[in-house]
This record gives sequence, C-alpha cells and structure tokens, in this order.
Amino acid sequence: MNKMRKILVCHGTGCIGGGAEQIFSLLEKEKTRLNLSNVVLKRTGCHGFCQRGPLVIVEPEGILYCKVQPQDVPEIVQSLLPGGNPPQRLFYHDPVTGDPIPYYRDITFYKKQQRRVLRNCGRIDPEDIEDYLERGGYQALQKALMEMTQEQIIDEVKRSGLRGLGGAGFPTGKKWEVCYKAQSDEKYVICNGDEGDPGAFQDRSLMEGDPHSILEGMIIAGFAVGAKKGFIYVRAEYPLAVKRLKIAINQAKEKGFLGKNILGCDFDFDIEIFQGAGAFVCGESTALIESMEGKRGMPKPHPRPRLAEVGLWGKPTLINNVKTFANIPLIIANGAEWFASIGTEKSKGTAIFSLTGKVVNSGLIEVPMGIKLREIIYDIGGGIPNGKAFKAVQTGGPSGGCLPARLLDMPVDFDSLTEAGSMMGSGGMVVMDEDTCMVDVARYFLEFTVRESCGKCIPCRVGTKQMYDILDAITKGEGKREDIDLLLELSEVIKRASLCALGQTAPNPVLTTIRYFREEYEAHIFEKRCPAGVCDRLTR
Amino acid sequence: MGEMIKNQITLFIDGLEVIVEKGVSVLEAALKNNIYIPHLCYCPDVKPFGACRLCLVEINGQILPSCLTPAEDGMIVKTKTPDIERIRKIILELLIANHHSNCRHCPSSGKCNLQKIRGRLRVNVKRMRPLRMAKEKMPIDTSNPVFDYDPNRCILCGVCVQICEKKGNNIANFFGRGYVTKVIFLGDTSKCEVCQQCVTKCPVGALISKKH
Repeated sequence: MNKMRKILVCHGTGCIGGGAEQIFSLLEKEKTRLNLSNVVLKRTGCHGFCQRGPLVIVEPEGILYCKVQPQDVPEIVQSLLPGGNPPQRLFYHDPVTGDPIPYYRDITFYKKQQRRVLRNCGRIDPEDIEDYLERGGYQALQKALMEMTQEQIIDEVKRSGLRGLGGAGFPTGKKWEVCYKAQSDEKYVICNGDEGDPGAFQDRSLMEGDPHSILEGMIIAGFAVGAKKGFIYVRAEYPLAVKRLKIAINQAKEKGFLGKNILGCDFDFDIEIFQGAGAFVCGESTALIESMEGKRGMPKPHPRPRLAEVGLWGKPTLINNVKTFANIPLIIANGAEWFASIGTEKSKGTAIFSLTGKVVNSGLIEVPMGIKLREIIYDIGGGIPNGKAFKAVQTGGPSGGCLPARLLDMPVDFDSLTEAGSMMGSGGMVVMDEDTCMVDVARYFLEFTVRESCGKCIPCRVGTKQMYDILDAITKGEGKREDIDLLLELSEVIKRASLCALGQTAPNPVLTTIRYFREEYEAHIFEKRCPAGVCDRLTR
Repeated sequence: MGEMIKNQITLFIDGLEVIVEKGVSVLEAALKNNIYIPHLCYCPDVKPFGACRLCLVEINGQILPSCLTPAEDGMIVKTKTPDIERIRKIILELLIANHHSNCRHCPSSGKCNLQKIRGRLRVNVKRMRPLRMAKEKMPIDTSNPVFDYDPNRCILCGVCVQICEKKGNNIANFFGRGYVTKVIFLGDTSKCEVCQQCVTKCPVGALISKKH
C-alpha cells in the first residue's frame, strides 16, 4: 500500500494573495483524477515563509515547494505516485551555493527558529478543530480545569516568567493575580488583537493559523481569574482572522470547550468577537475598552485604577495580547520550567516577529528570546538582497526605534531593546538597506503618529505635528541649524508629558535616528544633501 | 493641640502646609490655598479631563496631572521645579504656535486663560522662533444661531462638550481624530440662547457669542 501523505497548502493572507486558493482546487482535481486515496489535502494558516509563497508542503517528509504556480500542480501530485520524483525546480535553492533543498527543516530560514507558539501554524487546518485536537489541543485546558486550582494556574504562569507580548512586557502572572484578587460578581477577559504597527502581521497570522490556541489560552485565563465572559478585539481589516475565529468559537462550543459546565466542571465561559473600527490608538488598553463600550477611543489618563481591578463596564478585566494567550496552553501543558528553559534572565520563552523590508527571506518567524539581531537578519532572513549593505533595523513600529549595524550583536529581549532606545513592541521588524534615508523614515513614522493620535492631550496632538513639520522641512532642504536640538527637546517633553503610551513612545523613531544617524540629519540641514538619495529636493 | 477633624487632610505644596477636605484633587487643594498651578482644561463645573497637561506636578518623583490626582494626607507636591516649568513652557509654546490667533484681534483678549498663562510663564516669541507655525486655517463654524466656533483658536479642553451634555441639549461633540480633531455642534439648538454655558466657560476665544 502507498503510505499516507498530507499535502498542506498555505492559506495565510499572503499566500492567498499569491493564488493559493486556485492551487488548492487544482490539487483537489488532480488528486481525484488520479484517484489517490492515500493523500489528504489541507488548507493551513501561515507557514511563515511568505517571501516564497504560495507554499505547498508534503508531509510526513516535510518537502517544501515554493512559489507554486497552477501549471506546477500535476507534477506535484504525480510525484506522490509510486516511483514518482518530487519536482526539484520548486525546491528552495540555497542563495549562495544554488543547491536545491527539499526539506524545510534544512532551510536556514526555519533552522534557527524555535516554533513553539507557531507550532501548529502552517501544519493544521485552522477551520477544523479535529486537527488541533490531534496535535494535543485542549489538553492544557483539561489539565487546568481538572487537576489545578486557580492559584496553581496563576502560580505556574508567574513562575514561567511570561511577559506580555503586546509590547510593554508586563509580567503576565502578576496581571492575572491582580484580576484574580479583585472582588467582583463579574469579570472579563479580553484578547487584544488590534494589531496596527506598519509592517506587523504576527497577531493576524496566529489568529488565522491557529485560532484554537488563543481560545484555549483565554478559557484557562477565564477560569484562573474567575471570569465567565471573554471578548476578542480584532481589527475589522482582518476579515479572514474574524472568519476563522468565529468558526473556531462555534466548533469549541460544539465540543463543550466553551459554554456551560465546561468539561463537566462547574465553570462556564463564553467568547465573543468585537470588531474594531480601525483606530491605531484602540490597541491601547484603556482606549480599547472605551471603544468596546461604544465611546470615542480615547485613553484614560493616569492616575487611575488598574484595568485588572476596574475595567470594562467598571468590572475587573484581564487584557492580554493574542500571542500571550497562545503561550498559555504551552505553559500549562509543559510546565513553567519547560517554558523558562529558553530565553534570557528577564525575558523568557520565544518572540514572534514579522520580518519584512530589505531582507531576502521575509516572513513570520519565532525565535528564542536573546537571539542576536544578526542571526535573525542574516541567518533566518538571509541577509540584504541585491548585494546592498545593511543600514538599520526597526522594531516596535511607531513606538520603537531604528538600530544601526553596530548593534547587530545585541540580544533581542525586552530590556536590551528598550535600553537601545527601541522596544520589543508587538513584533514588527523592518530591515532597511543603504538606500534608506533615516530622516525620511523618522518623518514617515511621525506622519503615522500625527494621523493616529487620538487628539486628546496637547503634547501628543500638537507636539507630534510640530515634530512632523520640522522633519518634513528637513527632508525638503528647509532645515534650520537649531532643528536637531529642538527635536530632542520636543521629544523629551512629549515622552514625559503625554497622557498615554502612544504619545510617550511616539518620539522614539526620531530619538533613535538622531542618536545613531545624526550625521544624516546634519547632511540634510547643513549641506542640503541626502546621503541615501531619497529626498528628491536634495542632492546625493 | 486641637483634635483633627476627621475629614481633613494635610499636604505640602511647594513647602507650604495646606489643610483641605478629603476628596479634593491636588489642583483644587492648591487653588483653594492661593497657590497657582497653570491649567487650561480644568473647570470646576465638569469632570477633570487631564488633557492640557499644564497642571503637571511632581509627587514622589513622578510627574502627574494635579487635576486628576486626589490629594492625600502627608503628600509632598512640587509645582515649580525647573523640570516641570520647562515642560510646561514647551507645551504652552506648542499650543501658541498652533493657535493661529493674534491676541490683538481676538474678542476674548483680556479674559483668555491661554493669554494669562502665557504672561505668567513669560513665553516670549523670540524663543519660539524655530517652531513651525500652523499654516492652514480651518473654516469658522457659524451654523449655530447663538454663537460661532473657531477651531483655530480651540484648544480642545472639552469643557463645552461636557457642559453641554450636563446643562444644555447635548449637541456638542468631538469630531475627527488626532491633529484635525475639532468640536461640532449638531442637533436641537433651542436651549442654546438661554444656556450659553459653553460660551461662558470656554477658556479661550473659540466660542464667541454672535451678539459680540
């Protein structure tokens, strides 16, 4: 008999854009035509290697076919017949030696990764709960509900050292404990899926690729803190994520993982989806809550009670990022020690990034905390395309900063990135090459902040506009000698006086580009020259 | 020694001992005791908004808006450290650079809080020269029968929005987001003639009675 084979067709947003749906239906036709009963076809979430999509994977061998086109389909299917040979030209080819590499585990893009949270992404059909169950899904929920107390769960999360992966890095277990201890008849759990950083798609990919892992994390959280109701706040711009989450919720209800008396225990929990209206600031947790209550999405100023004590409709509310919740089943199933076995002293576990920009292999990656930037960009990312030189890497989106080549050996963790003037952020990582003008980059991010500021407090509303106007003038050759000092002074005031984290971090792209690329600002202002040749009113 | 009244607390503002009722904010505690902290969006008739950031003070090394911080017993508040004064001055400069209006042509001149604070903090135009002044002017909204609204003079303190909700017909609302946020007045204007609370309480010259 022929052995069982799985053909996985990546249906992440990127591969769908490349024509994955057509490839899938052609594969189905060809399979039927050849009457291959030993082959199962599956649509999966993002497999990560977006640069090479549409991707088709054949398991159990782990053969990866890149940039698959409709005309390649017959060859792929026929290779599964006895004596068939996989089409080599669709393999990934080593950029240096040119050798074809058939198995994805041998490709450097995957080799240095540790796919824990993304373990199911690209390997299961996200619209089929059976796939998730087959890979150990909802075992952690069963363990939590049947073998552990609320205190034990919180203690496990605390000991794991997991920090919030939405950007700020607040210890997750501590947050859970505050919410658990808050006295109230009602509590809520919210999953923050309002991903909005330019170039970031890791939360979307996880919601699209493994929605049940997020639900499982939320249900465990609900049990631990004593909540009966959960909400997932998703951007309305993520229709595929919304669709797959809805399917997942319905399937979990049918199986009894959501609803009344979950797994026969005295615990009820339900999850509802809330679609955001496209405001970046609503990713800020107090603004997110205002928006859910039907109000203007404006952050609440400090001093104020913690949301874990007074949150949605005044009730204790636990808000965590998508990736944070997806880590929970792993921690409960494998234990805190297992989770903390990788990472650095203060940043445990893995980090997920959307690696984009001027890098050979862009895509969705998961790496151990503490990995060097160089390993991400050169080993996983394959370096800079077209023989160009690396110039900077931007992490943390509009709240983060641009780090130069001399920091490439810096470990990637919460504290090192913050110390360097950037931040972990929610997981955007944009690589820039020598053709990038750093003043122009700063201008771009400030333009974003000006547009996305809620407009409430003066330093953020007026201050970021002032900074944008100055940066815009510099790129047009109208910079004044005082401008660098003025930008530094404004940055400091905006950081310290703004009402919420949006304003408090908005100057970071400007501060880091001045700190690491000051000579570029000076060339623009004093020599009316743009060294990268980007600003078209200036000479090179 | 007289017995402490239960509802009273003692705090120290710029080294001065201040006794106030429990429940007031640091800003109110200061103002009641003739200690001036600059403020634009605070108005005793409405809930503190915390948006102008001019009333920032230092408490235990933290910079906090005094309008939103409840006064506590034994609290040590600094309102005039060089750090705070510099932050305040820059916020004010940003606001003025963005405010378009020339005070001499403004009907609110003489009773405008922004003008008053500018005088107190001695913000001079020379220092502000490197700042870029706002270029585009937004149109003046004359649709209300009782008053005109000039978004270019508005500092978005939100007092009119709150007071209209409380005392008027609830027709004032924020509109738009970020730098282009403004206030719009839509709906039943029948109460406006009698009420005019928004015009009276506007700290600057953004809302001007048509009779003016």
